[in-house]
Amino acid sequence: MATASAYRSPGFDFSNEIRNNFLSERGVPLPKATSTGTTIVGCLFKDGIVLGADTRATEGPIVADKNCEKIHFITDSIRCCGAGTAADTEFTTAMISSNMELHALSTGRKPRVVTAMTMLKQYLFRHQGQVGAALVLGGVDATGPHLFTIHPHGSTDKLPYVTMGSGSLAAMAVFEAGWRPNMERAEALDLVTTAVSAGIFNDLGSGSNVDACVITASHTEMLRNYVKPNERVQKERSYGFRRGTTAWKSESIRQMVVEEDITFIAPEAMDTS
Amino acid sequence: MDPSHRIVPANAPKSASIQDTANSLGLHDALRYGPRSLAAENKTRGGLRERLESWDATQDNLKLTMQRNVFGLHMPMRTLMERKIVSRNPHMPALAQSNPHLDILMGRDETLDCSDFMMPASELAQPMDVHAEMEKKLHM
Repeated sequence: MATASAYRSPGFDFSNEIRNNFLSERGVPLPKATSTGTTIVGCLFKDGIVLGADTRATEGPIVADKNCEKIHFITDSIRCCGAGTAADTEFTTAMISSNMELHALSTGRKPRVVTAMTMLKQYLFRHQGQVGAALVLGGVDATGPHLFTIHPHGSTDKLPYVTMGSGSLAAMAVFEAGWRPNMERAEALDLVTTAVSAGIFNDLGSGSNVDACVITASHTEMLRNYVKPNERVQKERSYGFRRGTTAWKSESIRQMVVEEDITFIAPEAMDTS
Repeated sequence: MDPSHRIVPANAPKSASIQDTANSLGLHDALRYGPRSLAAENKTRGGLRERLESWDATQDNLKLTMQRNVFGLHMPMRTLMERKIVSRNPHMPALAQSNPHLDILMGRDETLDCSDFMMPASELAQPMDVHAEMEKKLHM
């Protein structure tokens, strides 16, 4: 009898593996993925977590998206910022979000942040860093606020303030200087904004606006484009021409709707001869 | 698979065989399965693909080995018997199948994974030769 396989298939299609290896051996460059050279941060405050992210997506030296979203939804009170390969962070967080919802339905409880963290790190560890997602996971659950960083190879940290991405050093400097335990909401939001701004202005891979997300036990507030420090200004000169710049000598307007006179006459008798 | 406490798949010994794609003469059937180079396949072994393909088997082996150490040999035997009963499937072998009973026994009925919604093209393709599939199923 045919037996269904007890084990799952890898899910990814490796049928071009041999061809691609052959091509790269011959010196054909592999296509580059869009990476979010990124500043993502998170910090604890009195009532919960503040997450922050910039909004620039880069493709090598090119800015692919000036206002992309890097704070991804996991559950109502858990959010995840993603740095690294944009498609990988998007897909990974979407999949974990679905799994967390299934988990919540099956247990009947609000899911915990460690659950999402464990799912993410197991998934990333299984793929040996080939899924390029560097994440900052934050949320509030029954056991309090939690903040984690997850590296692409699956290692995790739990810290009161964390940064990730190429602008992490600039942002961490701000946190090291300014973070205190039990901050007020406004203070924490200011600190996160300053940290992301430090990334935006000092790291070439980060730029544009500041997204923030405030998660407390009762409420999650997503502040999309919280600060816009790089608003595009009006161009100094306008290249629109004044009305009437070009003179015209004659005007002819062609009637596009054809009008036709139809005269209805009495119908003739049918020819039956 | 030998009982082991491995968490992560070991680097499997390199091997490639035409067993799966052989025709009745025992040679690789290029008309049905396309061109193939055993040398090239052998060279690319040991990457992510092998790791992902043997991931579940390795982890399951760990669980079964631990069951054996804690409860005795009967426990993994029971587990495997249950799986075998449940995975018996009288339906057409050529078409895609789902087996919720097996999913429950494997503990993946309430999870979503890449393999649930991202299928390689080879799995999506409808097999043309139903008779061959049936012969394979019935060991003819």
